[in-house]
Order: sequence, then structure tokens, then C-alpha cells
Amino acid sequence: MLRMLLRRMALGAITVAIVSIIIFSGVELLPGDACTAFLEREAKGKLLENCREAQGLNRGPFERYFDWAASAIRGDFGVSANGQKSIAELVGNRLKNSLLLASSSLALGVPLAILLGVITGLWRDRPIDLTLSTIAIFAMTIPEFVSATVLILLFSVWLGWLPGIVLTPAHAPAVEFFPEIILPVIVLTMVMTAHILRMVRSSVIEVMAGDYVQMATLKGVPYWRIVFRHALPNALLPAINVVALTVAWLLGGVVVIEVVFNYPGLGRMIIDSISDRDLPVVQAIALIVATVYVGVNLSADLLTMFANPRLRTLYMRQK
Amino acid sequence: MKMLLTAAAASLMLAGVATAEPSGTFRQAHELGFGAQSSLDPISKGRVFQITEKIMNRLVRPGLDGKPQADLATSWDANEDATVWTFELRDGVTFHDGSTFEAADVVYSLNRVLDPDSDSPARSAVKMITSVEALDDMTVQISLNTPFADMPLQLMDYRLRMLNEGSGDDIATSGNGTGPFMVESFDAEGTTVLVANPDYWEGAPGVARMEVIGIADGQARLQALLGGQIDMERGITAQQQVMLTSSNKFDVQVIPTGNWRGLVFRTDVEPFSDPRVRKAVRMVADRDELVKLVLGGQGVVACDAPVEPNDQYRADIACPQDIEGAKALLAEAGYADGIDVDVHVSTLESTWPTLAVAYQEQAAAAGIRVNVVQMPTDGYWSEVWMKKDVAATRWNERPADQALHEIYLSTARWNESYFKDESFDAMLASARRELDFDSRNAIYQSAQEYLWENGGTLIPYTVTKLIGVSSRVNNLDAVKNDAVRWHMITVD
Repeated sequence: MLRMLLRRMALGAITVAIVSIIIFSGVELLPGDACTAFLEREAKGKLLENCREAQGLNRGPFERYFDWAASAIRGDFGVSANGQKSIAELVGNRLKNSLLLASSSLALGVPLAILLGVITGLWRDRPIDLTLSTIAIFAMTIPEFVSATVLILLFSVWLGWLPGIVLTPAHAPAVEFFPEIILPVIVLTMVMTAHILRMVRSSVIEVMAGDYVQMATLKGVPYWRIVFRHALPNALLPAINVVALTVAWLLGGVVVIEVVFNYPGLGRMIIDSISDRDLPVVQAIALIVATVYVGVNLSADLLTMFANPRLRTLYMRQK
Repeated sequence: MKMLLTAAAASLMLAGVATAEPSGTFRQAHELGFGAQSSLDPISKGRVFQITEKIMNRLVRPGLDGKPQADLATSWDANEDATVWTFELRDGVTFHDGSTFEAADVVYSLNRVLDPDSDSPARSAVKMITSVEALDDMTVQISLNTPFADMPLQLMDYRLRMLNEGSGDDIATSGNGTGPFMVESFDAEGTTVLVANPDYWEGAPGVARMEVIGIADGQARLQALLGGQIDMERGITAQQQVMLTSSNKFDVQVIPTGNWRGLVFRTDVEPFSDPRVRKAVRMVADRDELVKLVLGGQGVVACDAPVEPNDQYRADIACPQDIEGAKALLAEAGYADGIDVDVHVSTLESTWPTLAVAYQEQAAAAGIRVNVVQMPTDGYWSEVWMKKDVAATRWNERPADQALHEIYLSTARWNESYFKDESFDAMLASARRELDFDSRNAIYQSAQEYLWENGGTLIPYTVTKLIGVSSRVNNLDAVKNDAVRWHMITVD
């Protein structure tokens, strides 16, 4: 058990290291560097030299990568392009905001999705199922930027109830993002709920048709007891992995949503830093996102294992 | 309209009479073009001009009519051949940190721009300056390496702001200037807060607070304007104008500018090394049509001269579409069967692809087969512009003399069409030397006509800027932002 955990964590660390090399090479391969991106048509002569000097771009790519990696391992991610702020602080603020957006959407979306999923699953093919499933399909297929724009138009421009875009600066405390955060959370919840709902629905249907549920019914166990004691614990297992993927998706930067709402999270930062060729920032974010993916998937697997007796004993026997 | 005028007159009177305390907050966005490298240093590439224009002054600024007007210099004079200029400075002006503005600050600020080691992008605007000297506390003498009758025009450049002597090291974050607003907190990616400078030499500003908010996405900026989160957005599209004017919550200012977009044909490569071919590819453009198609009518036709419609030196050239003439020129140059041209564009400038496709259609009639090549936005200036034979370009307005010198002179830093022509260079040099306005005007005009005959740059139009303003804003001058008197505006 412990060995399995350690092995998975070591593999995770290797994955993260490989990701950082791929990202570094990828950005290096793009035409231009941080200085030509910044100076645009003025990237010439002394001005360009001064800029490259200041940003340490005179050194070769290998030297720069290993320098960066050596400091990153010590927890030093360098300073921003203008040399004013530490990247750890900049990225930290953005990460906090992405976490805020993700946790708000999850807190709203996951219980809602599971509730609706169970309802549609139990009342399969009834009017309530048809209505909810149709709405879910719409919510899934309409691109986020379309639903975002429509919501802004409705609630911000026409009704004037909610602020349309987020103007709170990145470093502000979480409470200050209210009420600006409401619209982005609604949009994210719509997309997310639809996915999880469909997963839960089919899983409930499958479980309710299972042999042991039939057996329980024949033995005369009351319907709601069957649902809550026997069916749901099994039906919700597959949902754990979908939720885990959703968490990773939310933290990996919901780029489109962040751009449309001007939300200061990781997604917008990664777009900006790639177009600025700001490698240290790109690298720091890539590390975070990769770690999140690896970590979330690992926890999801562990959770599934503990919740499922068959898998649990299988691993225990292997030690 | 009449009512609007009366209302405007009434509010002007109010502003004139009442010595009201500054009140309210005015909010606008900036497009966050420079990310983490954004700066309050007016001569750095990363300058956020939406902030520097409100916190710092120049020696000379454009008046509402665009002509030079006194700012921190109250008067100026040139010697006989316009090689030495003397500026009298304004008395009793203080910087936000309390220090007094005097001649030493001017010497420091201009020398900072001229320093070859820092190689500021603003340097090319004032390269003709050889020395700046303080004659006394309130008088500055500027010597030039060439006679230059229009030196004050050059000092109107939006980057040539006056800084306190020795403040260069921290100006990027402090923003210490003499302007109507003072920096309370600078956060380019978030909200920069400016507060009214009660000691401003033109009188205390009308609003107490200004917020300049970094919003990179154009759509998001529009949403913010519509939702009342910002009060002004400079540079909306013709379609958005229709939407805004239909609402009584917004006004739209329509302001012709000298900003231009165009296509550059490199004059140093075949077949454009032949002036006849260069003229032919420009003659085929139906410019009125391009203004309609590409800009929704919000532009002014230009005839390949980089001079704004209201500039005193603008040449009056006619450039109707001439397909037969273009065919004849091509045949004469040995291309009777027409030519193939790859035009490189990107969505860096949203109107480029439309411009290229519309031009493709028009040029086809003369046997010019245009192939539009989409290039990535990333690295456009370093990999495409001035590298490919034909590429789209864009420029912000500058005075006629500066535009001609910076973009077309043989030795110009940004000679994007590789235009090397001795007689043209000689024309520009003689214009600067000419002290009589009418003769000078004649030379600048013939330089523009010369470009129309020989140049390699197709400039079909200058762009008219549309500014969406919330109706809670009063007294916002309907001029380019370079000339707006920010201390005048008030909000309800």
C-alpha cells in the first residue's frame, strides 16, 4: 500500500519534471524572445541589447534552464520581467484566485449535479428526466464564452443586477471578489454540472438495474432504503473520477472564462506570459498545473480504492 | 442637439465659475499591452500613456486645434536660422513630491531621452538636439544640429514629459510629475489609482479620483463600459457605435486621427524595385471603398502620404482607382501578364485581414494576383514586418516632419519599405531649413506627392477614432487623448 503510494508519487515528480522541460523547449521554439515580444518594432540596436542584458537572455537555453531548475528546487522562482515583484508572489495571488473560483463553482456545482443526476436516474424517461437532461445537453454544448456573454448582457447590461466583469486586483482578499465572481461561477457551474449530472445519471440507472438491487427489492427492502443504502454508494464511485478531472480542469486555468470576465486567475496569466515570452512565469504556472493534475488524479484513485472494497482488498493482498 | 449644446455651455459655465472641490471618480481601461513590463516612465517602451498623460506635463502641448500651445514652457523663440531655441519656463510649478520645477529639470529630462546608452524609443523624435542648457532657473536653451523651424511641434510628442531632476531611477513606479493627478497606487495589471493634485497650476481638477484599469480583452472592456464599470473606452468599432448611440446612457465622440494602416511593398526587391510597379500596386486601390468595407466608413482617404487629415502640411492629392493606368504601368515595366504578390497579415491588427482581402479583390482587375498569407500574431514585428516582401503595417500619428523622417528617410530607423532616394532626402532636409512657412509647406507637400509617385507604402486611409463615453462624464474634450485637458472633466 505504502509502496504503491511512494511509487505513484515518484512517477508524479518525474512527470512534472518532464512537463517543465517540454514547456521550456516549446516556448524557446516560438519565434522571438521576451525582449522582441516587449519591444515589438523597436527591438533593435542598443535598446534590444540592454533589454536582453537586463533579463539574462544572453545566455544559452541550457544554461538558463538549469539555472531556473536549480533555483526552482530551492523554491526560488525568480522575479517578474520588470524586476519589481517576486514570481512566487505573483503566481501565488493568481493561484489563490483560481482556487477561489474553482472551490466556489465546485461547492455549488457538485452537490447540484449529484442531486439532479440521481433524480434523472431514478425517474428515467419521465418528464422531469427529459427536461433536465435536455437542459444539461444545452449547457454542455453551448460554448462557455457564448453563455458568458449572454449572461453578462442579461444581468449586467440589461438588468443591471450584477457587475459584468471583474475589476478587483489580483492581490485583493477573497471577500472582495464578491459579487463580481457570481457570473463566472454560474457559467462554470453550468458546464460542470451538465457533465457530472450525465455521468451520475447513467451510473444510477446501471446500478438500479443490478442484481443485488433486484434481490433487495425481492426481499422487500423499502425503495428509499435500497436507493440510499445500496445503490447510491456504488453509483457515486465513478463520479469521483469525473469530479477529480473537473477539479484539475478548474485549477488548470479556465482560460476562456477568465479572459471573458477579466478574472485575475492562472488561466489569464498563462496566456499573457506566453505572449510576453516570460519563461519564468510560464514555467512556474506549468509546474503548478502539472502538480495539480498529478495530485488530483492520485487522490481520486486513492479515494476510489478506499470506497470500493474489491479494489481495496486487491491492493492490500499485493501489499 | 440644441439642448445638448445648452447643457454643455451650462456645465462649462459652472466649471468656470464654481471653485467646487474635486469630486467623484472617473474610470477608464487600458489594454495592458506590456504586462509585467508596464511602467510609469514616459520614455520607456512599457509606458502606460493612459496614466502618464494625466500625471505629467510637457514643455509644449497640442491645443484643441492641434497647434503648439504653452504647457510648462510659456513662450519660445528661435535664432535667425532656427538652430538655437530658447524656452521660457512657467513659474511656480511644483512636482507632486513638493520640489519646484525649474530649468535643471528640463535639462535632465531631455538628456535622459537623448542618452544613446538607454536608447529610448522616444529618442528618434528629438535626435536633432545636440545640447540642452539652463541659461537661468527659468530659461532653457536647446541647440540643434540642423535648422528646424518646427521644433515646438516636436516637443509635443506624448513621451517628452518633464521629470524631476535625478528621479529617473524610480520614476517607473513613482510617477512623480507636475500633472493634474498624482499616483496613489500603481498596479498596471489591476487598478491604478490617481488622486487630484490640489496644487495643479491650471487649477484643481474636477474629479477627485481616477482609476485606470488594466483589461487586456477588447470585448471585456466593452462589457465593462456597457455595464457601467468604466466611464470611457477609446477605440470602439463602427458596429459598437451604433449600439452605444441608440442608448441614452452613452455618447460617442468621433475624432479623425492620423493613425494609419497599410501595406508595405519593399522597394529593394523585385518587382517592386521598379517605381512603375510600386505605383501600379497602389493605383489599383479604391480607397473610398476600402474605408467603407474595412472601417465601416469611419476613416479618411489618404493617398499614401503618412500625414493626418488636419495637419497643416497635409498635401491635397487625388488618388482615384485607376485600373487602366496600373495595367499600362505594369506592361511598361515588363509585366504585361500581371504579377503575383504574397501579402502577409496577422490578426495583431484586427482590420488587416479584411484590408488584404478587399485589396485582393480590387487588384485582381489589373492582373495583380494577390495571395493573402495569414501569419501568427506572435512575433509579427520581429519575423514578418520588414522581412517579408509585402506585409501589413500600422502607425500612430506623428507630425508630418517626424513621420517622413522616421519612416521614409534613407537612414530612418523604421524605413519599412527600404525606401532609399537621395532627392527625397534632400527635400526633407531643405524643408527643415526653410523658415518661411509657405515655402516650407510647399516642400513638405511636394515630398508627399513624391511618395505618391515613387513610394512603396500603400496608405489607403487614416483611421477615425470612436470614443464611447458614459453620459455621467462632462467636459471631456472631443479631441485626441494627447490634447485632452484631463483636469477639466467632471462626473455626475
